[in-house]
Amino acid sequence: MDGPLSGIRIIDSTTMVAMPTALHLMGDMGAEVIKVDSHTLPRGEGGVFPEGRPGERYWDQDASFNALQRSKLGVTLNLRAPQAVDLFKDLVQVSDVLVENNRAGAMGRLGLGWEDLRKIKPDLIYLSNTGFGYTGPWRSYAGIGRMFELTCGLSQFTGYPGEGPRRVGAAFFDLHVGWTAVFAIIAALEHRNRTGEGQWIDFSMYQIGVATMGDAMLDFIANGRNGRPMGNSHPCYAPHGAYPCQGGDRWIAIGVESDQQWKALVEVMGSPAWAQEEHFGDGLSRWKRRQELDDLLAEWTKSHDSQALMHRLQQAGVPAAAVMNARDEISDPQFKERGFFEKVPHHSDTGIGARVYVGRPWKMSQTPSFIRRPAPMLGEHNEDIIIGLLGRTEDDVEELYDLGVLGKEPANQQPPGRGLPVEKQIEQGTMAGYDPGYRRLLGI
Amino acid sequence: MTGSAFGNYHIIDLSQGVPGGFCTKYFADYGADVIKVEPPGIGDVARRTGPFFQDDPHPEKSLLFFYLNCNKQSVTLNLQTSSGREMLCRLLEKADAMVESYAPGHLAGLGLGYEQLKQLNPRLVVTSITPFGQSGPYAGYQGNDLMYYAMSGLMYTSGAYHREPLKHGHPQSLYMGGITAAYATAAALYAREATGEGQHIDLSLAEATAAHHYGPIARYGYTGLIERRAPKVEGGSFKGTGFEGILPAADGYIGPSTQHGRQRGTLAEFAALIHHPELNDPKFATQQQRQERAAEFDAVALPLLQQIKKYDFFDAAMTDGWVAGVVQTQEDLARCPTLQERGYFTEVDHPVIGKLKFPGEIFRLPGAPWSLRRPAPLLGQHNLEVYCGDLGYTREELVLLRQEGAI
Repeated sequence: MDGPLSGIRIIDSTTMVAMPTALHLMGDMGAEVIKVDSHTLPRGEGGVFPEGRPGERYWDQDASFNALQRSKLGVTLNLRAPQAVDLFKDLVQVSDVLVENNRAGAMGRLGLGWEDLRKIKPDLIYLSNTGFGYTGPWRSYAGIGRMFELTCGLSQFTGYPGEGPRRVGAAFFDLHVGWTAVFAIIAALEHRNRTGEGQWIDFSMYQIGVATMGDAMLDFIANGRNGRPMGNSHPCYAPHGAYPCQGGDRWIAIGVESDQQWKALVEVMGSPAWAQEEHFGDGLSRWKRRQELDDLLAEWTKSHDSQALMHRLQQAGVPAAAVMNARDEISDPQFKERGFFEKVPHHSDTGIGARVYVGRPWKMSQTPSFIRRPAPMLGEHNEDIIIGLLGRTEDDVEELYDLGVLGKEPANQQPPGRGLPVEKQIEQGTMAGYDPGYRRLLGI
Repeated sequence: MTGSAFGNYHIIDLSQGVPGGFCTKYFADYGADVIKVEPPGIGDVARRTGPFFQDDPHPEKSLLFFYLNCNKQSVTLNLQTSSGREMLCRLLEKADAMVESYAPGHLAGLGLGYEQLKQLNPRLVVTSITPFGQSGPYAGYQGNDLMYYAMSGLMYTSGAYHREPLKHGHPQSLYMGGITAAYATAAALYAREATGEGQHIDLSLAEATAAHHYGPIARYGYTGLIERRAPKVEGGSFKGTGFEGILPAADGYIGPSTQHGRQRGTLAEFAALIHHPELNDPKFATQQQRQERAAEFDAVALPLLQQIKKYDFFDAAMTDGWVAGVVQTQEDLARCPTLQERGYFTEVDHPVIGKLKFPGEIFRLPGAPWSLRRPAPLLGQHNLEVYCGDLGYTREELVLLRQEGAI
């Protein structure tokens, strides 16, 4: 079935998280995305393998790689070989978009920079994603998603009040930058459709992250104000936080934004005397006494089950949500009914079976999007692309394998270790727990 | 030839607050003609949301509204009146996309649901932004930034081991929803070139935040392991493993890491970077050792880092190929030399606020560049222009519409 971006061919010469995310989404949306990989580069380094055990084809079994590279075709081109650079150029000539995230200037040194490629494909859309852009004093600095939380100004607000700043437990700006890349590429395609022109997009992760901090920057520019760690509090509403529930490490988030919601909360609590006092009667009063309010509310929540309480509060009109972990999310009826997690069968050679990945946060009524294929095995589509698309012969391809330009197995095999045993990971605290029934829950 | 990427698109923004506003900002900044349709009298909720210029909570001085809505026009419209609904339909006849954030079913109840609008304009793309989506058992639930973080798995993996889970201190989930709406709307407009038809986009803000939990979801599906927040490391302000936390420097905070190029850097290399070779004690050589002796390591390492200025550390580390961060404040961002040199800041002249330095270009699209064409609109500033100029209402009719509360 055609997706919204069917008919577009994209070369994915990227690594890390942000750009692979942009391009797997475009693949979900029907674009033909060709991931250029190399059998000379390490693969299978993510450390998460089926059932915790790297298998014979460990390089095709990495959970993180497979999550990020879905809906793509895969070709291995060892770009240190001149034949590979020629093949890359041939691929450019039959593609619409090229995305890369090497350090500023690296593609140019391979003869694959914008100035080189526009000569052979004048309407190419070429996006170079770097940490800080091609100009400015930080242009040579490397950037990764999790550091942009600090550098883009988000960490200054994040942390417990009275302490120093903290990061959250995810490579946060990667997705935002990836999603912005989808928008930017479509903008350039719109421009190409109208003018026939391609262009080079100088994509700075830093600048894109900073664009979510506009109100904060203006608060300094106009008012000279700087931020501080906010905990889970809101600048003007209370109660607003995560409150303890029954069981170990179970919490409920409650965020009251109006008097009406507050009255509904008081009613669900059984209208205790403290909650009816005048000094909690309106928004400003509650906000001024938010610490006291948090303590009183926590006394009430701690004897409740977080899931049951969430539904009770929501049915009364109070914004509330259980603080969920990965298992809770997978079991959650809302995510389930909307099909937010998609089950994807992998090629039988990988020994992975079917696994579950995050889908997209939207649905379109006419042009469907879905995970169109599992992440490619190393070199899985070499023949399809080199022979089928670029018109080389079977003999040519055989020679390219012999020369090490193409490969289907890693040149330097370094099977990963098994990592720490589950019990040790739980003891150290990096994992909350192990659910032996996960395959049954997922239906895999 | 330059021109704007979305210059031939007309977008009606019926949404309230950050997500829809941030979505249509992307289109407006790259050339689209965006009209914000606001309730008469009070307008968009962002107009009542801080920060405010000089801390004056005047309806035209919200800096949040100002940031989100430059390059857009504003008209007022009361959808509870039949005239108001008719005027919206006339706007939508000529529009390419509409972005809205009402509770599921609200617009359909007014005769303005997607199925009805499709009859009016089959080429219209309608993007509905709601807390949990149009369908499912939570469709009628209340959502806000805190709920999205809670349901996303992000809170469960953020914060201190023994304390409550933590969200970002800026309503980041709303911006995530906004960019999601922007790219999905752009994709649907692009698809229209091939199909000739518009469509309905049903976006869930909770899902936009939950998408960030892709790693722990994949891990659970591969191994059954459930990730949680920071490991149990006692002592000091040691917040992660090894050098992965945010640590105090002389004049702020820095984010060192052990990543050095594509490799994991050694303690010897790190000690050399900060010019304190004595830090390179073999008993702290590996990450495991540093974790096991966290308090002891903190006692040695933190005082050394606290002597270094944050940008001195950041520049030295990044120049040497480490991957590091520096906690930038609002002031740091507003004065950032990289942003200045890239021409990021521009100036906006607003009729009530006056001239103000403004954060501009989101990404560089040289063929169809970011542009600033007008300041954020005053509430209903373009009623005359849009209703009389574009739709052909007379001024007398406009006065009547005002008196009956339709605009």
